[in-house]
Amino acid sequence: MSSFISLYFFIFLPVVVLFNFVIPRKFRYIWLFVTSICFYGSIDLGSTIVLAAVILLTYGAALLMGKSDEGKRKLVLTGSLVLTIGTLVVFKYLGFIVGTFKGLTGGDASDSAIKLLAVTGISFYMLKAIGYLIDVYREDIQAERNVVKYALFVSFFPQILSGPIERAGKMLPQFTYPLTVDYDRLRDGLFQMLWGYFLKMVIADRLSIYVAGVYSNPAGAVGFTAFMATIFYTFEIYCDFAGYSHIAIGMARILGIDVMKNFESPYLSGSIAEFWRRWHISLSTWFRDYLYIPLGGNRKGTVRKYLNVLIVFAVSGLWHGAAWTFVFWGFLHGVYQVIGYLLRPVRDFLVDTFKVERRAFSHRLIKIVVTFLLVNYAWVFFRASSMAQAFAVIKNSLVFTPWQIMDQSLYSYGLTRLDFLVAILGIMLVILVDIANYYGIIVREKIMSQGIWVRYLIGLVGVLIILILGIWGPGYDAGSFIYQQF
Amino acid sequence: MKKTIFNTIKIVIFLLILGGCIFASTVVLRRKDSDYKYADFLSESKKGHIDVLFIGSSHVINAINPVVLYDDYGYTSYNMGGHGSLLQATYWELRESLEYMTPEWVVVDTYMIEKNVKYLDDREEYEDDDINTSVEQLHLNMDVWPYNDLKVKAIDDLISDEKTKNEFLYDFIVYHNRWQNLTANDFKTLTGTADRNQLFGGEMRYKVEIDPPMHPEATEGDYLTEDTVGCEYLRKIIELCQDKGIGVVVTYYPFAAETGDKAAAVKAGEIAAEYDVPFLNMLELDVVDLYSDLNDHGHLNVTGATKVTDYMGEWLSNTGDLIDHRGDPEYSHWEDNAEKFQAELDDMVLDEDNLYVKLNLLKLDGYSFILYVNEDSGVYHDVAMMHIIDDVAETGKVSTDNSAYIVIKDGASGKVYDAKGGEILESVPTSMGNLYYRFVEKYYRILSPVDDEDTNYLYDDGHAAEDIQLIIFDSETGEILSHDYYRSYGGNYER
Repeated sequence: MSSFISLYFFIFLPVVVLFNFVIPRKFRYIWLFVTSICFYGSIDLGSTIVLAAVILLTYGAALLMGKSDEGKRKLVLTGSLVLTIGTLVVFKYLGFIVGTFKGLTGGDASDSAIKLLAVTGISFYMLKAIGYLIDVYREDIQAERNVVKYALFVSFFPQILSGPIERAGKMLPQFTYPLTVDYDRLRDGLFQMLWGYFLKMVIADRLSIYVAGVYSNPAGAVGFTAFMATIFYTFEIYCDFAGYSHIAIGMARILGIDVMKNFESPYLSGSIAEFWRRWHISLSTWFRDYLYIPLGGNRKGTVRKYLNVLIVFAVSGLWHGAAWTFVFWGFLHGVYQVIGYLLRPVRDFLVDTFKVERRAFSHRLIKIVVTFLLVNYAWVFFRASSMAQAFAVIKNSLVFTPWQIMDQSLYSYGLTRLDFLVAILGIMLVILVDIANYYGIIVREKIMSQGIWVRYLIGLVGVLIILILGIWGPGYDAGSFIYQQF
Repeated sequence: MKKTIFNTIKIVIFLLILGGCIFASTVVLRRKDSDYKYADFLSESKKGHIDVLFIGSSHVINAINPVVLYDDYGYTSYNMGGHGSLLQATYWELRESLEYMTPEWVVVDTYMIEKNVKYLDDREEYEDDDINTSVEQLHLNMDVWPYNDLKVKAIDDLISDEKTKNEFLYDFIVYHNRWQNLTANDFKTLTGTADRNQLFGGEMRYKVEIDPPMHPEATEGDYLTEDTVGCEYLRKIIELCQDKGIGVVVTYYPFAAETGDKAAAVKAGEIAAEYDVPFLNMLELDVVDLYSDLNDHGHLNVTGATKVTDYMGEWLSNTGDLIDHRGDPEYSHWEDNAEKFQAELDDMVLDEDNLYVKLNLLKLDGYSFILYVNEDSGVYHDVAMMHIIDDVAETGKVSTDNSAYIVIKDGASGKVYDAKGGEILESVPTSMGNLYYRFVEKYYRILSPVDDEDTNYLYDDGHAAEDIQLIIFDSETGEILSHDYYRSYGGNYER
């Protein structure tokens, strides 16, 4: 059971849902915990030991904090944070740290002999556990006494691999009083999962073929083909991660658990700050609540605010991956925002001088396009295996070769003309759904309000499109989501 | 409660419709090679219409033409040969087919009996490309059979990699990607009107290998001293047939065999002898002409296939076990397919541009033609072409010198007449009438009806430069179907 896309998983999930439906409400958390551990253990048995250790450590630390006075609580929090973050560093960043050190001291950075166990999903569940410790310390919530419930919070299988990174305050009560899954809820959750699978298997995995073709030999793609790769990757990572999130949220819903939204039409943002309010919301808010605000946020002067932004985004970059390309990607987003703040007077001056109507569609469109391009080029660093490769792709993408649209060059990177058509139509559909979402129209709810034959038709066509047009099966590893590597 | 039941019914209906749609998709998307090959097997075996099964590799596919066997002997057979099939694949192919019928005879070809690898995807023995080809080719033999215990056993026995096994057991894994290649035929499968192999599993090839490699005979040191996996499965095939009371005959069809192949054939003969079953080693029997009956060094062309099929027909008729079904209305489908094949051959004979192929096809029974080769033609320097011509005439005259040559084949009587240099043919009886032939000089020769001296089929001012003329005429009416002129210049034989 390697992920949400496997035959075993499609057998596993209905069994879990069916039993969850039958088991009395007050015992469901036990069933969900057992199945979560089975799911996680089937992916990576070795990592289960690390997971168990983290659960027991943070569970114990939180209980201890609950019984301690202020001074001792701080000590327990500090100690437990050192241990949890230390665990994260050891399992995720040790190779990177040693490699960087070797590079600085003239050694071969790529020859870092540290090859520790790669712990599946550690970045995600660790943030949940750390958030829980801080919440208990701040006395926002009480320490959970039921170890199984707490363990389920950390290991809940729809979320454990790639989030959303939920808060204990929201999840633990739901495990105590899970909602009853009625027909409407089941239908709603399944439709959301269907949309998630469509995003992942039909669009993201298709785009990834082209992107991989270009990034494997950046020197061979000069001009529009490289530009297309940057655009495709921008949509690939969105469809991949949003697809995963939709599957996870839909799956939790059919198990009677509500999980927060993770995306809110991010590519329709008019600024980088807005982008981060719409992209990976559970992570952005986590960093806001547990890093940016403790660092002082915007309460300690302008310079400190800019510094905090840069720190938070650099750390966010590092959280995404143990490589300098990720750090640079995060830092770049921080720089974008600082420059945005610095240029605000200039922008205001220009808007006033040219009497631009701020609420006009044209003005909004320009802001969206500019923001999209900034995000688009930042993603190049996220995708590239080295800074040199990233700069090469960016440089090549700026070469003017519009004839490549017509001369079949686009079809030299693993996608046929029909594949391209499916990819473009898919992207257009995503944009349309996001526009509707932007204006408060939830397409899924609109479908649900239609007659049965429309719902049946959309459901049937949806499943068939995923099965037929989806990228899966021999010759292609469709099993892994991009965000699972973080 | 009522609502729950109602919702449950809705879910069940949705799942049923979804299941139906997915099933229809699998049917449409599945590669049709296997359905195409075995469609008639499934329908004819259900009617109990198949007397003989020919099993083995692609050598069988190209060596046995069931419509010729039916047309010439009235025996019904199915060509179950698989491209690249090793004997273990052949064994499972037989097991699957015996689920549907029990033939009178099974004819098993033993090409590749020397192969000693169990699994088709053995990565230690084969290169990745070879594995991909083997696995791909196995789909031809396996896709048509429904999922059941037998198929699971077969795949378990043939493939070691679990993922690859699933590709056979749940082939939608592989074929959902075919959506970009769908044709009208894929959709016709839903209505049962998709194309099907009209040669009952056989495939005819039409090229002529004019320079096949020849290899030394096998000597004692070349022989297989130990049993191979191929030997093991040949034994299983024989035992399976004997257990079921089916007659079994072991063969080794002809091709330009290497020394190792010749040695392997000896081993096949030894195993056949152990079980006291007949062995027909056609590498040693004078059944085909390797210089005109091969499509490539390994496979027979249509004339070679016709010879091998007729040889098998003769052999089977000598057993006295089989009934001649010709004329039986129940077997009209066989009659129809035989006619269709003949029509296809007729078209090919007229349309073919390659003179080697064309003359080779004209050798087949029932065709009538006149071939004239002028004095000093390039043909006289082309050993392969002279060989094909002499295969018809069988007089050796064509290659004696550079003088003009004519050969007349009358399909109705099956007789052949030829003349070289100044030889005169006074009155050749053909369906065109009695013909008179005389060579006068390089640019003037006479071929006319005996009773019509004004007509000269071979004289044409407009084609003085062409040194070869080929007239094809109807064997019954004598109507001239085509009259082509060729230049031998450069060995291209341009029409």
